[in-house]
Amino acid sequence: MSMLKQIAEEEQKLEMTPMIDVTFLLLIFFMCTIKFKTLEGKLSAYLPKDVGVNTSEAEPKEKVEISVVLLSEGAKVHPKTGAPWDGSSPRFEYKGRQVEYRVGPQKFADLTKVRQRLEKLFQADEERPATIDARPGTVYSDVVQVLDATIQAGFTDITFTGSYQK
Amino acid sequence: MNLNKHDAGTEMEMDMTPMIDVVFLLIIFFMIITDMTQQDLEELELPIAVEAVEDKPDPKEVRPVINILWSGKMIVKRQEYYDPETPDEYKQVSEYLSDQSRQMREKRKRDGEKPEVMESVPDGPLLLRADENTPFHYIQKLMEICGKQGIQIWKIQLAAAQPEEEG
Repeated sequence: MSMLKQIAEEEQKLEMTPMIDVTFLLLIFFMCTIKFKTLEGKLSAYLPKDVGVNTSEAEPKEKVEISVVLLSEGAKVHPKTGAPWDGSSPRFEYKGRQVEYRVGPQKFADLTKVRQRLEKLFQADEERPATIDARPGTVYSDVVQVLDATIQAGFTDITFTGSYQK
Repeated sequence: MNLNKHDAGTEMEMDMTPMIDVVFLLIIFFMIITDMTQQDLEELELPIAVEAVEDKPDPKEVRPVINILWSGKMIVKRQEYYDPETPDEYKQVSEYLSDQSRQMREKRKRDGEKPEVMESVPDGPLLLRADENTPFHYIQKLMEICGKQGIQIWKIQLAAAQPEEEG
């Protein structure tokens, strides 16, 4: 009688090892995949070639000059709560940031208008190069947005101007 | 000698579970290792651009990658090359770029390009990854360095995130 009882007890023990294996596996898998979410792309452009060897022939076309001018920097706020940024979190956002775009002599506040203007300029002359002039105070995303609009308008030959800081 | 005798009554079933476990583990291990090769990409908040094309780097190509944090710190392969709080006239960044530029030109030489083409400028681009709030003058400074004698990188790729698809 006691023997039978012992055998029955032994068989009831649950084998935990495979479950733990699988759990760890899933854990590791999700740890690995979680950062693949963000898609990343690139925008190509050319650098100013006033220094060093210039391989291209003399520029026959007049460049379309696009300037990005900072009107007001805006306040740094916490990206999620919207509270003023105090340096505690690694990121911040700008609230109430105002940037002005200038295409030649014309001034724009809205990027879609800039794009429409650039599209017109591009249709008039498809070979025309463009330069982006980022004025002091502008940040990377301001410039990338302009670059994006310029590429959307069709321009392929895009350069940047040099810096204002000496 | 009882050991040699095989009892035909017991079924010899092979347990596959540990083998499958180990195989999965190896697959995941190699997945992580291949991910590690991408360590020159710092985790940043990139601006969104509609026209951003997918980046498919050629592993054989020499391509310098510089990450810039919003504070202006420049990071190459997890190492800080420039800190605005301890300015060094961009010496480390310049050295890195001229080294990369030399490697690019050497690669073109190995690929057997005409000497007159080869002598001019490296043809490869520089990938610039900056946080969306990075002041642009840091990037302009880097562009200036790119044009210096001995570096002369004239193509640039700006990293941007692709907009998430709706629906």
